Amino acid sequence: MLILNLFSTAHRVARWHVAHALPPLLLASGLGAHGQAMPQSGRADSLTSRRHRLPEAQVRAVRLEQFAVGSQRLELDSAVLAQYRGGTAADVLGARLGLYIKNYGPGQLATISLRGTSAQHTAVLWNGLNIALPTLGQNDLALLPISGNTQLLVQPGPAAALYGSGAVGGAIVLRTEPDWRPGLRGSVQADAGSFGLRGGSLEARTATPTLAVRMAASYREAQNNYPYLVREPAGLVRYTMQNAALRHQWSFSPDLTWRVGAAGELTAAVWLTDADREIQQGVSVAGSNAREIDQSRRLVLGYRRTTTGGGQWAVRGAWFEDIINYSDQGAISNSRVRTTQSQAEYTAPLGRRASLRLGAEAQHFAALVDGYGAAPITENRAAAFALLRYDPRPTLRLSANLRQAALPAGLAPLTPTVGLEWDLHRPALASDSLPPAEQPGLTFKASAARTYRAPTLNERYWQPGGNPDLRAESGGGYEAGLRYRLGQTAGVLLENEVTAFHQLVNNWVQWLPLGPGGAYSPRNLRQVRSQGLEASSVLRHRQGRYLASARVAYSFTQTVKTQGVAADTDPVGRQLAFVPLHRASFSTDHQWRGWLGSAAFTFTSYAYTDASASSFLPSVGLLGGTLGRTVPLPHRTSLTLLVQSTNLLNRRYESYPARPAPPRAYSVSLRLNYR
Amino acid sequence: MKKPLLALLAGATLLAGCDPSTPTPDSPTNAGVYVLSEGQFGAGDGAVSAFDRNTKSLVIDAFGAANSGSKLGDVIQDMGVVGTRGYICVNASNKVEVVSLPDFKSVATIKNIRQPRYFTFTSATRGYVTAWRGPYTNYAPGKVLVLDLTNNTVIDSITVGRCPEQLTVLNNKLYVPNSYDNTVSVIDAATNKVTSTVTVGDGPRNVVADQAGNLWALCTGFTVYNPAPPYDVISSTQGALVRFAPGATAGQLSLPFATGNPNDLRISPDKTLLYYSYNGAEYQLSTTAAALPPTPFIRRSFNGFAIDPRDNSIYGAVSTGYTSNGYFLHYPAGGGKVIDSVTVKVGPNGFAFN
Repeated sequence: MLILNLFSTAHRVARWHVAHALPPLLLASGLGAHGQAMPQSGRADSLTSRRHRLPEAQVRAVRLEQFAVGSQRLELDSAVLAQYRGGTAADVLGARLGLYIKNYGPGQLATISLRGTSAQHTAVLWNGLNIALPTLGQNDLALLPISGNTQLLVQPGPAAALYGSGAVGGAIVLRTEPDWRPGLRGSVQADAGSFGLRGGSLEARTATPTLAVRMAASYREAQNNYPYLVREPAGLVRYTMQNAALRHQWSFSPDLTWRVGAAGELTAAVWLTDADREIQQGVSVAGSNAREIDQSRRLVLGYRRTTTGGGQWAVRGAWFEDIINYSDQGAISNSRVRTTQSQAEYTAPLGRRASLRLGAEAQHFAALVDGYGAAPITENRAAAFALLRYDPRPTLRLSANLRQAALPAGLAPLTPTVGLEWDLHRPALASDSLPPAEQPGLTFKASAARTYRAPTLNERYWQPGGNPDLRAESGGGYEAGLRYRLGQTAGVLLENEVTAFHQLVNNWVQWLPLGPGGAYSPRNLRQVRSQGLEASSVLRHRQGRYLASARVAYSFTQTVKTQGVAADTDPVGRQLAFVPLHRASFSTDHQWRGWLGSAAFTFTSYAYTDASASSFLPSVGLLGGTLGRTVPLPHRTSLTLLVQSTNLLNRRYESYPARPAPPRAYSVSLRLNYR
Repeated sequence: MKKPLLALLAGATLLAGCDPSTPTPDSPTNAGVYVLSEGQFGAGDGAVSAFDRNTKSLVIDAFGAANSGSKLGDVIQDMGVVGTRGYICVNASNKVEVVSLPDFKSVATIKNIRQPRYFTFTSATRGYVTAWRGPYTNYAPGKVLVLDLTNNTVIDSITVGRCPEQLTVLNNKLYVPNSYDNTVSVIDAATNKVTSTVTVGDGPRNVVADQAGNLWALCTGFTVYNPAPPYDVISSTQGALVRFAPGATAGQLSLPFATGNPNDLRISPDKTLLYYSYNGAEYQLSTTAAALPPTPFIRRSFNGFAIDPRDNSIYGAVSTGYTSNGYFLHYPAGGGKVIDSVTVKVGPNGFAFN
């Protein structure tokens, strides 16, 4: 978020916060929150209202997205997240943002493909720190329960300067933001559903003027013993899914924010997740009883302090432990990686219209992985970055960022980013209470970036085949588009956005049998090109106590290998496997008095399942829905009943080859709210 | 602004009709050549392709075509032909699929054959399948399962060494190479008992019988890697081509390979020429040779190799990794210029003829 003394924000804050008269105030203006959705507040009525007043003067973080001018951002608001409280990021990103999730089954491995790139090409950050599994360089979205965080946003497109390694196809940003509203509030929820789904969650938060505390926990289990049909020579035969249970999934995430004096803020956040899953094999693979335990422990401590000159220091230290223990019929593969990370940054105002952030970070990995041998492996990485935001005029916003990472095998490619947003047209009666990027009107936006992905520990140390000399993948791309926002008059807000993108990934890593003894070994071999178009339209309407929103989105993604070597026999020029050419989604939410109704439809065109572009998963359209009712009860409590359904059209489809997806399924949630 | 987007959405939904077309192929009629493709692991898309060498027609997935789109299963490992029946070992699906030939209609599925590897037979009513036991790196002694081919059931099970592979029959005796050991188990097919064990070399994978009544085992050798950087090879035993006589308990002739791992021993239909793949090429030698040939027969790396007994023409399978479709090459008898190059499914690894 912009530093306060940027002109327009300064205006607003001056008006709102004049009483507090904090000289070096930094404000989280929520500039970035408006890519697709409305600001976060935890209050449904904020959807069409003005940004609510900050209850206290705060040392708010200058958000990273502030420096991502010209990039698209997709953000889920808290009202939507609340519907998915028992679920995971895998459930919500596909259904609500129209993103393509490669999913092996309910609760099973789920990875994202942003702009046609692979699972390793999306950086996942939690409170500003990369939480990709260092071994695999990717995240299983089914292991990221929604309850653990209060904010979830996705920035498609290359952006290593901001998000570091892996932000090739884009980044997923998870955050817990302190809630400074005074008093205690909380809720407890119980869930039950088809195929042995049971769950529950608990959230409590409280704040005093100097301390904000939140605690969230969730539990889920599912038998996933759903029926599916297999075509056999004698006809269709009905089977019941075996070895696919989610035996348990816990998430526990306490965090606190403590204001230390007028200028300092200390934050501590913990996120513990623990899942025990049976690993569903393809239905034609017999006799497997594979099982996997995934545990992650994440701790971060941060301190932020504003200086009298209007700048802000922030330091963060984090400790993560990621455990993956896999076993199948006595074959065991265990791994444990401990990561320590530290970040330091200084954000300074440059005059009235610019701000500059300089920072550095270091990561240390200690891995004990069966596949690497008995000896532990350690690796260090470091990076320095400079981020600049400059708004020469209220209608022109610019950013320029740079990151240089140092990896064990040498320097990563230098990764700059530039971005621009230019308001081509602004209605005369534009609201003066909004920051420039949220004003109604027509805006041209563009950005260009170079990016990289550091080799994963598996790529470097797996034996046989691990390649310590592997270079970082590099890439670059640009996007440009238009955003049209129709004002906030008469309770209607309409925002349309269209973006065209083009990007290349060089030195794309591919495992080929080129290692000693013909072992599969990762090599920097390919160039992959991805290009396409993304369009979305968001409508929000408010009339009295009726609140409605609808979002329709479409994406066209063409991703092909453009260059390779002779040993890499995958053909060039064919659409990559698991990249559907077309995706479309429509979601709508309606609230009236205590009622809630919501539906989400996603269409995915066929996706090839091999590099030859011969086998494919057929196209499928899926519908899900939620009905809810909240009844106020005495003593500031209320009760919410939610009935949800997935695959309402009962489509028979495979989300991955030989992994039949569940038929229509229901769940019921009962939530007791206090406040 | 919203209407065009809704139109776009509607248009996108119409694209549902734009899935790639998959015409229903006819069942194979008179194929003669069957090409086995493992498929992508877990995807259940292993296939046997039926190739007619006269018309050059190909049915990519013969089983699916003949059985209304049914999938054959995961990891097609081997196929044996007994008269007008085909016996297909589907490794990861733990089954042997029995089809009628040449139409490829399903006859029976012999289920619960864990980790089936290779099929052979001693008569029109008696078949044998090798099967592994135990998980990766913790293998237990494997089995030879005895099949009654009249009703397609397992009637007996014989314990052999670890990871039994491609067996052969000579004079009503089965010779079973135990690829995780250094032995060949000899089974008397009359009693279904192991009568002796022949020590050959490390990692025997295939056994063939030659014209003179000798047996040849191709041993791939064992390679052990350093578990720490730089992950070099810390121990390696040589591969060897080992000849032994039916009654022997040890090899009579061992032709060692200097480096690397030889693979996929085959013998010509007249049983006078041996073939194997080694260091990315295919080699040929006479069953009377006293040394390994210095130069390759075909300079190509095959993932499967076979000689059609009807015309001695040669088939080589080329696997291009496990994400893209492979192909096979068809050479005239004695080698030479490629006659046919035909794309099949992912991971072609072998052939069968009838």
